[in-house]
Amino acid sequence: MDFPKKTVRITYAAGEVSLKELVVLLAKLGYEPYISLENADPKKKKINRKLTYQLGIAGFAFGNVMFLSFPGYFQVDEFWLNQFKGMFHWLMFAFSLPVVVYSAQDYFKSAYKGLRSGILNIDIPIALGVVVLFVRSTLEIAMHWGDGFFDSLTGLVFFLLVGKFFQQKTYSYLSFERDYKSYFPIAITRISNNNSEEQVPIYEVNPGDRLLIRNKELLPVDAILLKGDALIDYSFVTGEAVPVPKSSGAKLFAGGRQEGSIIEVEAVKGVAQSYLTQLWSNDVFNANKKHLFQSLTDKISKHFTIGVLSLAILATVFWLFVDVSMAIQVFTAVLIVACPCALALASPFTLGNILRIFGKHQLYLKESYIIEQMAQVDTVVFDKTGTITTNAKSKITYEGIPLTEEESSLLTSSLRASNHPLSRALYDLLHTNNITTLDSFEEVSGKGIVGYHNQQKMKIGSPGFVTAAQPSEEENKTSVYISSNDDFKGRFVFQNTYREGLLEVFQTLGNNHDIVILSGDNDGEKSRLEMILPKNAQLLFEQKPDDKLNFIKALQQQGKKVMMVGDGLNDAGALAQSNVGIAISENVNVFSPACDGIMDASKFKAFAAFMAVSKKALTIIKWSFALSLLYNLVGLGFAVSGHLSPVVAAILMPLSSISIVVFTTVATYFLGERLLKREIKRN
Amino acid sequence: MTIIYLLLTVSVIVAIVFLIAFIISVKNGQYDDTYTPSIRMLFEDEVIKGVSEEKPKTKTDNQ
Amino acid sequence: MEVEKFYYDNKIVKNFLYATLVWGIVGMSVGLLLAFMFLFPNLTEGVSWLSFGRLRPLHTNAVIFAFVGNAIFAGVYYSLQRLLKARMWSKFLSNFNFWGWQLIIVAAAITLPLGITTSKEYAELEWPIDIAIALVWVAFGANMIGTILKRRQRHLYVAIWFYLATFVTVAVLHIVNSMELPVSFLKSYSAYAGVQDALVQWWYGHNAVAFFLTTPFLGLMYYFVPKAANRPVYSYKLSIVHFWSLIFIYIWAGPHHLLYSALPDWAQSLGVTFSVMLIAPSWGGMINGLLTLRGAWDKVRVDPVLKFMVVAITGYGMATFEGPMLSLKNVNAIAHFTDWIIAHVHVGALAWNGFLTFGMVYWLVPKLFKTNLWSTKLANAHFWIGTLGIVMYALPMYVAGFVQAFMWKQFNPDGTLTYGNFLETVSEIIPMYWMRAIGGTLYITGMIILLYNIIATIRQGSSVTDELAEAAPLQRVTKRRTAKEGYHTWLERRPVKLTIYATIAILIGGMVQIIPSLIVDDYIPKITSVKPYTPLELEGRDIYIRESCNACHSQMVRPFRSEVERYGEYSKSGEYVYDHPFLWGSKRTGPDLFRVGGKYNDNWHFNHFYDPQTTSPGSIMPRYTWLIKNEVDKSMTEKKMQAMVTLGVPYTEEDIARAQTWMDEQGTKIEQSLLNDPDFAKTYEADKKYAQENNEDFVEMRNREVVALIAYLQRLGTDIKVKTNNEEVSSN
Repeated sequence: MDFPKKTVRITYAAGEVSLKELVVLLAKLGYEPYISLENADPKKKKINRKLTYQLGIAGFAFGNVMFLSFPGYFQVDEFWLNQFKGMFHWLMFAFSLPVVVYSAQDYFKSAYKGLRSGILNIDIPIALGVVVLFVRSTLEIAMHWGDGFFDSLTGLVFFLLVGKFFQQKTYSYLSFERDYKSYFPIAITRISNNNSEEQVPIYEVNPGDRLLIRNKELLPVDAILLKGDALIDYSFVTGEAVPVPKSSGAKLFAGGRQEGSIIEVEAVKGVAQSYLTQLWSNDVFNANKKHLFQSLTDKISKHFTIGVLSLAILATVFWLFVDVSMAIQVFTAVLIVACPCALALASPFTLGNILRIFGKHQLYLKESYIIEQMAQVDTVVFDKTGTITTNAKSKITYEGIPLTEEESSLLTSSLRASNHPLSRALYDLLHTNNITTLDSFEEVSGKGIVGYHNQQKMKIGSPGFVTAAQPSEEENKTSVYISSNDDFKGRFVFQNTYREGLLEVFQTLGNNHDIVILSGDNDGEKSRLEMILPKNAQLLFEQKPDDKLNFIKALQQQGKKVMMVGDGLNDAGALAQSNVGIAISENVNVFSPACDGIMDASKFKAFAAFMAVSKKALTIIKWSFALSLLYNLVGLGFAVSGHLSPVVAAILMPLSSISIVVFTTVATYFLGERLLKREIKRN
Repeated sequence: MTIIYLLLTVSVIVAIVFLIAFIISVKNGQYDDTYTPSIRMLFEDEVIKGVSEEKPKTKTDNQ
Repeated sequence: MEVEKFYYDNKIVKNFLYATLVWGIVGMSVGLLLAFMFLFPNLTEGVSWLSFGRLRPLHTNAVIFAFVGNAIFAGVYYSLQRLLKARMWSKFLSNFNFWGWQLIIVAAAITLPLGITTSKEYAELEWPIDIAIALVWVAFGANMIGTILKRRQRHLYVAIWFYLATFVTVAVLHIVNSMELPVSFLKSYSAYAGVQDALVQWWYGHNAVAFFLTTPFLGLMYYFVPKAANRPVYSYKLSIVHFWSLIFIYIWAGPHHLLYSALPDWAQSLGVTFSVMLIAPSWGGMINGLLTLRGAWDKVRVDPVLKFMVVAITGYGMATFEGPMLSLKNVNAIAHFTDWIIAHVHVGALAWNGFLTFGMVYWLVPKLFKTNLWSTKLANAHFWIGTLGIVMYALPMYVAGFVQAFMWKQFNPDGTLTYGNFLETVSEIIPMYWMRAIGGTLYITGMIILLYNIIATIRQGSSVTDELAEAAPLQRVTKRRTAKEGYHTWLERRPVKLTIYATIAILIGGMVQIIPSLIVDDYIPKITSVKPYTPLELEGRDIYIRESCNACHSQMVRPFRSEVERYGEYSKSGEYVYDHPFLWGSKRTGPDLFRVGGKYNDNWHFNHFYDPQTTSPGSIMPRYTWLIKNEVDKSMTEKKMQAMVTLGVPYTEEDIARAQTWMDEQGTKIEQSLLNDPDFAKTYEADKKYAQENNEDFVEMRNREVVALIAYLQRLGTDIKVKTNNEEVSSN
């Protein structure tokens, strides 16, 4: 059993129990197995443990070096100490070696990469500091000048790695990399040439194959409807809230879910080439967004690096004139002290903390840098169906002539006989009415139903079906029309239910963000949405997945920092293209498209608060920078004046690091945790 | 005080042994999941007492 | 994958549990007897093997290695099998472990009262027993590792890491500290001398506390507390961090036991720094243990098992807070050598080790015997009596420690010591010793209640189940291990075994190379006036060791004004270069003896041994009448000197050749000086006459043990004596 991943491994006697029986049993227990195409792809997940090794080695070396270097601080000149000094020094050297070569290697790599691409990132002064520390310390012990700075060196790397480790909070039970595969089934029923049915893995479905799709089954490929009445629920794929009826010969798109009777289709494309799945061949899915992003730390470190280097050179030049022997010592001392340990820790600890706080409130971010990006977002794009509306409930209103009791009874009874989703929803609302046995009932696929009882006739369905006279097509609302004995009575209008707190979220967010609604659905809800939304908000309907992606791209080309909030497969492209893609999910464990963060739908009301906290996080980082610069100034004072001894370095470095850690922890708690708690409670 | 050489050697060797143990355990994925083990240890896997004990009991009843 | 059926070995667990209880009663009873000897010094008058000095190591050994040791084994053997879902690897090793360990304890219980001791605290047992300990310990480790290798649960629960660390570290510590050169079957000398010996001893001593009394119990805590509370440990992640940081820091903290001693400053300060750092992981562990019970406090109120555990963890927290504090130099200056330390170790032992063991026993016994605890009420009674016992023990000892320390350091305005007579500082704390004895009585009463309750529980339990049938739900998870892959499998299978064998090999190899170079220590800055002991002094020193005089008397004058004023010039490391083993001691129930040489005349010492209260009214030292009657065994003297030569003491061939006559000469000298006292002369002559008349053997005074001991005492600290304060017979 793996609790965080919520998975379980079951051993069973294959001879006595079949897999199917096992699955049935599990489902009965309330633990229905989750089977998807993703699992059919035996991809071994490789866990990267390099950082753990690096940290372990650095910690080990740090402790031992500390042990060996401390005696020198306590007693400078003592008979025995002098006897052991040589050994101590070379042991320290030996311990530092793996730290420099292995534990710190990522800093060198990153610094090198940064230099090559012309970015002065934070790792450059770090790498420089590490090298200078190591070289100077080695020289010192080799030439018997002093004790070296091996404790500072190993401590520095250790603290930096702790910061890195802390930042790396992973929600191993969530997957941020899901694509359509985890949504699709593993196998499908194919009708072979001799008209027998067989189960085939969907990868083996070829154009031209005839497939059988049962009620509630998913279409894995684009296909043409051959037989049967299709009623396809595209809500997850396109964002259309209402299932679409299709008749024979119509083209069906992959990802739709059949509602109703069995249909037979002919595949026109393979799985990967289908309309929806093609989306994943777009380049955005392969690009690593992280590399494009320049963090606050990087920006500051640019100035920092230039500053430090010029100071080092200035000080060296100064000492060249005053005392040549001191010059090189001061040069190295400046680089050692300036090594931005505290600076480099500020951001990991702040962001790591915020990441955990967000996680506690059910916003799970893939990595900590996303918080920084969240803070910079100026445009927030929302999907409609499933994102700002709930999938669970819809609101139904009746417009028209009130029905008599008899009519109501007939209506309910007729609805009961139908399997159409809208019928079911309506029936759920009305089922308290008397139910009578119908004399006869007929269902016209894709149009509506007719029920007869005691000479009464009740037509329920699309406007054209119910009455030719009243085609109120001007409104694109999802409605069910009814007529009694061919007299038009009225209609039931289905409205989306918006998530709790939506109004507040939009209001707060609207103050400093542009808001866009990008819906794959029709514009039936337009007027309602306009009421909720701030004035300048944009509303776009009937957007195909590609449209969404391109829309975001266009925004970005205008220099906007875009956050996409969506839920379905159709949003996948947009989520990937946006600077920050947040998926809203009713159940975070089941499915959400690839994204940067997954938010539990129940926490949607705190959306604005999350955004605010991410902004606060940047403020905290800035304050931490100021604090660490202060330490650096003190250290530089020692360094420039040529007074940097190993003791000073050994005190200053952990002191600054620890105070940064404490500061960020306290600050994030007060600014983040409390704000979120309050926000969630208030609503 | 040359004893320091001995103590130091021994201590460092012990420390290195633990470091190696640490690396091996990380490599084997011992610390990949830091939650489940704490729950798992609460479960007893002993054969249910009822099965193994009831049988002899019924026997004595029959006698 | 097939489900495997297998059996947990419960019998071995039961055996260790029984041993725990039996030895617990024994060890604590000896402790109680010792506590009463503070009040009635001559309680065991004239019985050499019941004297304080000889029983004190028995008490510590019985409690640490017999009581706590068996509890560790019981807990480990129980939890290890269940955590790994495997039966213990080897039944033979389990039994070897059990019977070997009990045999060692019996051997200790026999040899220690006979005065067969190395004098090194918690490592008093002589070399044959040391070897036995090493063997049994390795058997335990091998059994544990064997079980780990054939486990059915891939993950090693954190408790197992603590067990493993215990095994590896204790093995190393024991081997390093027990390096000794045998003279005869039951006598050996430490390979290290003076300061070096002290450093090794306290590196061991501290880590014995760490890795015998702490890490295994932390492992037990991480298993039994969640089990008893039926909820997972508060943070498993924290427990992992706890383990790795503790392992790393603990091993360096040793030198804090030697603050202000002749150890170089930097080594002392190092010990202090690391000791202070220890508080972080220790408290991390404590908090983790206590927070495991969060939300279960209602359970704690009714369940005695959890009650015991809560107090145990709290005791751990207190002791680990106090420890780093005590290692601060200025606190240590006060607390060292006083009863504060006794309080400190007993909080650790009574609360942490004792109560956790009790909690474990109360939880385990009903489980093993498939029944309920016979009486929860009695268990609760035990809990309250025991807790009261701890409080009654610890508090008076803290007070005693403070009182002692301040009286030792009190000066008059004129610059003289306010309490120049050490005895004043002793009689002042007698009431505290009384309360301690009462506290101890309460604690042992609780233990007896436990024993009764447990026996009743076992009686009502099912007696048939010697071993219990269990089944494993899962087989080995790793396919890698069973199928394909060649070298990887091999590597994976053997890391633990391999590393441990490698360590042992390296250790032995290293030792062989290092030790000889240590023995002939060219580096030691010699004080030219410091000379090896004469043969008679050497024999006297061995008697000093035999009687464990170092249990109550230190030989380390610290560089404080109060100590220099009271005892004389502070100790220099160069003065101990011929001390195999060192005899610094750790407690001053009586005064320091390092500069006692020449302070009193021979007659004073003689009378003092015969009846301490006549020379020092109010003294709580017992009479050592057997020293006065017994003849010194001089048969081994040459061999002993030879051994010392091997260890680097510069005796010449001539010295050894004339050892017997040399002893005779020195003995006669002391005999002469004793005869200066007319009273002594009169009784001595009378004894001699009586023996001659009755044709009994008569041992000349010069050949008696007391003379050898006096010879040694009069030599102590005189080699570099600056001031000659001979004959300064003061009231102390």
